[in-house]
Amino acid sequence: MPKRNDLKKVLILGSGPIVIGQACEFDYSGTQACKALMAEGLEVILVNSNPATIMTDPDIATRVYIEPLLPISLDKILEIEKPDALIPTLGGQTALNLALELDRQGILKKHNVQMLGADPKVIQSAEDRELFRDILDQVGARYPVSFLVRNMQQAIEASEKLKFPLILRPNYTLGGGGGGISYNIEEYKKMMSIALHESPTSEVLVEASILGWKEFELEVMHDAAGTFVVVCTIENFDPCGVHTGDSITVAPQQTLSDQDYQAMRDEACKILRKVGVQTGGANIQFAVHPKTGERVVIEMNPRVSRSSALASKATGFPIAKIAALLAIGYNLNEITNDITGQTPCCFEPALDYVVTKIPKFSFEKFPGAQDLLTTQMKSVGEAMGIGRTLEESLMKALLSMELHPEGIPDISLDIEKISFPNSLRIYHLFQAFREGHTVSQLQDLTQINQYFLEKIDQLVAFEKDFKENFKLSSPSFELLVQAKRYGFSDARLATLAKVSENEIRELRFQNKLHPGFFQVDTCAGEFKSETPYFYSSYWVGAGDLSVVSTSTKNILSKLVSKPIAILGGGPNRIGQGIEFDYSCVRGVKALQRFSRKVVMINSNPETVSTDYDTADLLFFEPLHAEFVDEVLRVTGCESFVAQLGGQTPINMAKKLIQRGHQLLGSTLESMDLSEDRRRFSEICLELGLKIPNSGLASRVEDAISEVERIGYPVICRPSYVLGGRRMEVIETKSELESYFSRNADAISPQRPCFIDQFLEGALEIDVDLVRAKDWVKICGVVEHIEAAGVHSGDSMGVLPPQRLKEETQNKVEMACEKLAHRMKVIGHLNLQIAIKDDRIYILEANPRSSRSVPFVAKATGIPIVDLGIAAMLGLSSEQARIDSYDWRKTKLVSVKGVVFPFKKFKEADSILGPEMKSTGESMGRGIDYPEALLKAFLSSQIRFPEKGEVFFSLREKDKPEMLEVAKNFSRMGFQISATSGTAAFFNEQNVPTVSYKKMFEGRPNCVDNIRAGKVMLVINTARGRKSIEDSFGIRRACIDLSIPCLTETDTAEAFLLALKYFQTQKLTARALEKSI
Amino acid sequence: MIKMEQGFLILESGEVFQGQSVQGTAARAGEVVFNTSHSGYEEIATDPSYFQQIILMTQPMQGNYGVSDSFWESRQIWIEGFMALQIQNTPGNSDWLQRLQKNQVPTLCQFDTRALTLRLRNGGTPWGAIVSGQDLTRSKAMAKDLIQQKKNQDLDWAWRVSRQESEIRSGKNPKGPKIAVIDFGCKENILRELQQQASSLVVLSSRASAAQVLDSKADALMLTNGPGNPGDVQKAPATVRALLGKLPIFGICMGHQILGLALGAKTYKLKFGHRGANHPIQDTLLKQIYMTSQNHGYALDEKTLPATVQVTQKNLNDQTVAGIYSQSLNCLGIQFHPESHPGPHESRLLFDFFFSEMIYQRRTQQWS
Repeated sequence: MPKRNDLKKVLILGSGPIVIGQACEFDYSGTQACKALMAEGLEVILVNSNPATIMTDPDIATRVYIEPLLPISLDKILEIEKPDALIPTLGGQTALNLALELDRQGILKKHNVQMLGADPKVIQSAEDRELFRDILDQVGARYPVSFLVRNMQQAIEASEKLKFPLILRPNYTLGGGGGGISYNIEEYKKMMSIALHESPTSEVLVEASILGWKEFELEVMHDAAGTFVVVCTIENFDPCGVHTGDSITVAPQQTLSDQDYQAMRDEACKILRKVGVQTGGANIQFAVHPKTGERVVIEMNPRVSRSSALASKATGFPIAKIAALLAIGYNLNEITNDITGQTPCCFEPALDYVVTKIPKFSFEKFPGAQDLLTTQMKSVGEAMGIGRTLEESLMKALLSMELHPEGIPDISLDIEKISFPNSLRIYHLFQAFREGHTVSQLQDLTQINQYFLEKIDQLVAFEKDFKENFKLSSPSFELLVQAKRYGFSDARLATLAKVSENEIRELRFQNKLHPGFFQVDTCAGEFKSETPYFYSSYWVGAGDLSVVSTSTKNILSKLVSKPIAILGGGPNRIGQGIEFDYSCVRGVKALQRFSRKVVMINSNPETVSTDYDTADLLFFEPLHAEFVDEVLRVTGCESFVAQLGGQTPINMAKKLIQRGHQLLGSTLESMDLSEDRRRFSEICLELGLKIPNSGLASRVEDAISEVERIGYPVICRPSYVLGGRRMEVIETKSELESYFSRNADAISPQRPCFIDQFLEGALEIDVDLVRAKDWVKICGVVEHIEAAGVHSGDSMGVLPPQRLKEETQNKVEMACEKLAHRMKVIGHLNLQIAIKDDRIYILEANPRSSRSVPFVAKATGIPIVDLGIAAMLGLSSEQARIDSYDWRKTKLVSVKGVVFPFKKFKEADSILGPEMKSTGESMGRGIDYPEALLKAFLSSQIRFPEKGEVFFSLREKDKPEMLEVAKNFSRMGFQISATSGTAAFFNEQNVPTVSYKKMFEGRPNCVDNIRAGKVMLVINTARGRKSIEDSFGIRRACIDLSIPCLTETDTAEAFLLALKYFQTQKLTARALEKSI
Repeated sequence: MIKMEQGFLILESGEVFQGQSVQGTAARAGEVVFNTSHSGYEEIATDPSYFQQIILMTQPMQGNYGVSDSFWESRQIWIEGFMALQIQNTPGNSDWLQRLQKNQVPTLCQFDTRALTLRLRNGGTPWGAIVSGQDLTRSKAMAKDLIQQKKNQDLDWAWRVSRQESEIRSGKNPKGPKIAVIDFGCKENILRELQQQASSLVVLSSRASAAQVLDSKADALMLTNGPGNPGDVQKAPATVRALLGKLPIFGICMGHQILGLALGAKTYKLKFGHRGANHPIQDTLLKQIYMTSQNHGYALDEKTLPATVQVTQKNLNDQTVAGIYSQSLNCLGIQFHPESHPGPHESRLLFDFFFSEMIYQRRTQQWS
């Protein structure tokens, strides 16, 4: 069937803030779908609450709404837009659940909107575990023995019929949220109460364990005519028991015979048809017994998913785009394969390479959280490596993790890190082989398939060979070629040969040993392809290793000018995520608008930047100087941009410059100025700008005297520790002593501890600006809602500022401009500034695009990244039209909300501090501050209480400030309760307050009360290690029971403002304005 | 683990691809073709349609899941050589390499197989030989000889792989029809599929006569797959021509091409053929689009088909003829492999069509 003519306007739902299990892959799929539908001449309305996405760029859809993904907002938007249809299958579980809710509440019917791609019945059939099992029975598919339970009684009965370990899978949650593996009845009961709570329908499937089985996933597509294709088969390196999002996976599947694979394929097709998926993408997961070959179905998702993004990048088959086209009526045979440009999309990609995906974790951000992988997803990002062999792709993926330039460095072996799945298992496996463990021993411990273990064994055997036989004095070229083909980095080979990385590199260059670049073409070379999507491999040329593949040559020969490379951000992690991909993609588009050809280099399969039609040439490569160097060489790039992809490219810039490449924009000198604290303080002094007092100490005695000079409170952090780790606010001498004794391992004369004045209660702001040689533009000022002390990535923010005085604001802007000129920034500069007693302190100045850039761009309508590119290209202020932008003329108020992953980390604390913990952000836009706040809170998945009990546990100095808040809640009809001290204070001040015992005061205590489910909101402030530890139980109970828990007084005040607005029930919805 | 040594693929043009071969395997020559299937190496190697061919698997990792006699599609390995970037050779599993070695099939791995694929795609499928050893000049001379010898051999490849003696097999459906099968290089799974619904099979040689078929008292005729140029297959087109309209005829691959020739159509050589498990087919008989397993170097020329015959299946990649059907003559030709092995199973329904529409349905009509 060709395109439907009755569809003129469709609405696409996004997936909201980035959370574990639902990340920027949905930005990729949504963006792709929008582009495809716009190209078909449809009006596309996009709704998403996440400002960091490319899809919410005003240019991507006809109209973009950054609004909460909630029925109340959608009702408004549907009212305004009156679309013909809604596509719920591109925005992950969030969009699917929202669509179901809109259907259930009759909102779709009210506005006469149909659902495309999947209807409620289909969604339920796949997502409701009981209905799904009926379907499996009907098609004769098997599944693990399991029981669906709805309460604890049923749960205990179920556990009696099955054998431990048992797997808990709550209905309708994403990323296995609230589920897990339990090994005994005690653990089971504890986990069950959380799981029942987590499922929106209070239903949990209790499943007999299939731990140790092989796990596979098929990414499939289906059209209205019934054509069925498997786009990609994925096999998990880690056997069942580890969530597939946390597993290392490879594609295509490696260990199934054709007979077994075809049987699995047949079953997938039958299930898909029975579930009733009319059109679109879906994935089905299977487990296969390693010995008997017995096969069971694990689950199915009737929508575009995390793995479909991976599958798209792995194969070149754009699943989301095709899903969108199928939804509007096309069939697969009516859509041309973009990559070949001549064959239709009803085919199954053939791969002549292997891809490996490795998840990226951020356990270090959550002290106390156990690095243990289960059926509940915990990874925050992923990298993909493409190579001609499994070995090469695995090694490239490991190099993409950016943990170590050697990829697989020698480490100290911990066998426990092998027997329990964890984020570092792969490195310990390498080490175990180095130390003589055998394949069968490690298979016993891990149940990982022998096939995979043997590959690692061989790599390690080669390491040994190389170590023993490679001599720089009489180098074996053959051995070097073999090493590069296995995927060893120069850095690793240097360590093995006990020489420097440069020596290996020089040898390689002397011998013209460079990788070739191969095309990802969906068809293993069967058809001619023009699509410039490449990966490197040393498996090039029969004997002549300097040969670049012909297709690369063809493409390069067509370029009229030398291209510019943009380096991406690599795998997402906390602190460096989708925001930087936004900058990269905008950067590509801006360069293209200035008629430049762009080379994109990135290793993250979830992103828009790695879509084959984003840049002119895409290289899917590790963000590792050695690999980037080769790409820059082969493409003859004129220069590279390092300031858009976050810290990753910045860290690499120096090496690339040393290798003869040209950096575009701010020089190394500017970067150095910002990173070298001594030089930075010198220039601040020179410009008359204040910075917080600071000092260095390696011994506690020195620290004490330093702090006497600086003054308490201070922030301490060891040098050479990444990402704000071990950073603490210290208020007293005894805390300082404790800090030094606890961090003794990280502090030494070579690595002293940084001690900074902590500006207690200061107002923090973020400024983003762009500077060119002869102009500078302030693009926006974001005022943090939380006071200094909370990491800027974790604090809520508002634009325009609500508390900053205009006079101070003017001073701030002037100071920023001065600093930008002095640092000779070309391009972006992000400044973090604190204001205390009207004095301005410069905390940090980073000459790169920042996390706040997309938020500011959307709040103000200023295309910041485009200005940055204009600056880097040396355009004049007239050419860049900077006078047409004025952030101060912003009419609406925008608030940035944040979301945290505490639920996923059982032992983690939700207290905020100098270390960033949030995974994503939301944006609320309103006519005034309260409305914007409310939307930001709502979009950050905070449930607003309507009545009930508000519990306070406050540190001494916050009590007076929170009294007003308590009074307000009391007036609004909430009951107030508090820990004994706070309660006494409130009662004294005539706020009737129920008093509860603190944790250490005996039981029942305040935590028992929270866990009993009576409390609707908790306001808990604490600072200093002891007080934080004492109140941990309170915050943990809130996380487990999804009770909003506010840990900063400013947040509490903001929450109250939002709650008052919430009660008025007046929520507007407004499309973003098109950028000028 | 199997010991490897340097080896070459030498094309008749003199082009050389250098890689690793199993030590001590004798050199062999064949037509060099590539296959894009991810799995099914053992089925492919034992498919007689690959007779005289050296196979390049485009998926670099081969031999991963070992071997099994149940994968065999005929009584022997037919290929003249097996190439892939990597063939599993570890202490735990070198089964496939061992099996190739035991059957004296030369291998070549550890080289840029994509460069070779692109060479075959752009320049067609040449003759070549896999020769192991150190000395390229000697190897080149040897390759030249081997290729020449191959070229001088009898061109009726179907006859060379076909059963010479007829064979009777019982079917699983005692009430079902009896099927005569002309073996041009039959894959075992065609017979298995027929056995599911037939009472018995009579499998005849590629040079069987029309009289032999009629004497067998079969209710219908299957023309199987097979290797080589259909134009070089002797006797079969005439046999089939004599049987047209006399009994239902179902041809697969070579069988389909022979049916075409019998109907008066012509065949031509494709530039580099279709070999893989991902080829989309539009089927107007079953009213579906599905993925198929394919392995052929020749195709029927649509323009030369008689008016009584409809093109009912098309390859959507290049719009070549993938199937023909004549209701009046009650014959069906299918260019791809509904018996799969390896490859997807959707087109298995064509066997059902053969039995229900072409055999039972007609019988009812005759009787009514």
